[in-house]
Amino acid sequence: MKQKWLLPLTIVCIISSFSLAFQLKILNYSSNSNPLSEKNTNLVTIINDLEAEIKEQENQIEKIRNDLSTLQNQQVEGELQELQDELQKVKILSGLTPVSGKGIVITVDDYSQGLQANPNDDPNKYIIHYENLLNIVSELKVGGAEAISINDQRLITTSEIRCVGNVILVNTTRIAPPFEVRVIGSPKILAEIINNGELEILRTSNFPVTLEEQNEVIIPAYKGELQFNYSQAVKGD
Amino acid sequence: MKKSRWQVPLTLVFIFMGILISLQFQAQSRIASDLTMQRTENLIAMVRGLSDKRQKLAVEIVDLNQQLRSQMESYRDETKLKTNLKAELDKLNILTGNTPLEGSGLTITISQNMPVLYIDLIHITNELWAAGAEAISINEYRITNNTSIFFGEEELSNVITVNNHRLSFPIIIRALGDSNNLEKGLTMPGGIMDRLALFNAYPFLEQAESLTIPASQDVHYNYFLKEYKPPENEPAINTADPHIPDNPASLRI
Repeated sequence: MKQKWLLPLTIVCIISSFSLAFQLKILNYSSNSNPLSEKNTNLVTIINDLEAEIKEQENQIEKIRNDLSTLQNQQVEGELQELQDELQKVKILSGLTPVSGKGIVITVDDYSQGLQANPNDDPNKYIIHYENLLNIVSELKVGGAEAISINDQRLITTSEIRCVGNVILVNTTRIAPPFEVRVIGSPKILAEIINNGELEILRTSNFPVTLEEQNEVIIPAYKGELQFNYSQAVKGD
Repeated sequence: MKKSRWQVPLTLVFIFMGILISLQFQAQSRIASDLTMQRTENLIAMVRGLSDKRQKLAVEIVDLNQQLRSQMESYRDETKLKTNLKAELDKLNILTGNTPLEGSGLTITISQNMPVLYIDLIHITNELWAAGAEAISINEYRITNNTSIFFGEEELSNVITVNNHRLSFPIIIRALGDSNNLEKGLTMPGGIMDRLALFNAYPFLEQAESLTIPASQDVHYNYFLKEYKPPENEPAINTADPHIPDNPASLRI
């Protein structure tokens, strides 16, 4: 009689300990299951507040820049006009104006179906990382991209693509999947280089990827700050 | 009797497993980009980054307002107007790489015997921008919006190219900015320097009081791009759209 009880009990214990171990491993990924989560909730509130405030600031900046452009473009006389034209040209090049033109629109998304089908697998294998976006962008530059934006964040010279944990930041702004990369440039060259590069790699791993050639891709202006405190033009020019 | 003794523990096992599996499933699908599921230290890093950005944007707004006021005042004053336009042009030329620049910053030296690939240079420049670099050059080439960093094949070996120019060793990356911040950005634990160390590549970092960064030599033609003027009485593209994409992941916060 004793032995017949022992066997099922042992099985129960083994199975439940396995499950528990799995569960603990999963919780480790997020590392903030119980005592910390309240602290995190506070941090998330702070982040949301900051983001709202920053958005407000960016709208304000956009408005002032527009007003400034209007003012700068009003007077038209000789030498000044030359300067105005040059300034306008440089504004377009540096990303301060919205631009449009022929190009491609790429979307990439997390492979959430894959994660759902393999819940025990490492979730990092199923999400888009900042490296994927960085690779896409650098390949597009090799293909002669003239302007690029990711989820409405215009990439300018000083833009960075990074991550904090699993959250991707562009221009210090949080962006979430699906990621839409808009590019102006030769659709043929861009598509060829990206289809044989990073998109091919993502497709092989079953990530949902689309690429569309468009006659008019519209890319928004950069709305962030332009503060330069360490650089000076070399004198004697 | 024998049967019922078996049934009870078995049922319990299955119920227990069912609950665990469903819990686990929930945990899994929430991990990806949900903010509350991020590590505390990452959230703190985000708060810090956002606070910095807010600070910079506030300064930018003050600057822009000053510029606007000055522009209004100089409406009839041509010399003043010219100075204003020139000042803004100088500022934007830092981005476009039209002018050589000098200032304090960081140099990164990579010698020939280090196994460094083009992708590492992309990561180094990306980290430098993230750490607040204002301008970067690799050897004699200025890095701008349109600069491509890639590789070419030459005499059975790969060479790194910048805008299709072959880079010769030593590769020297110069970045203008707060030299401490720039160095910290590269050397943070798990950062790019740690990653390169795995391959036995140890680029030499040196903070510099005064660095000169050349102007861009390559003329970049834009064949497709033109300024977009939104139709009258309509807001500029997507300005109404929230910056934080409205996908379910962010709604869970």
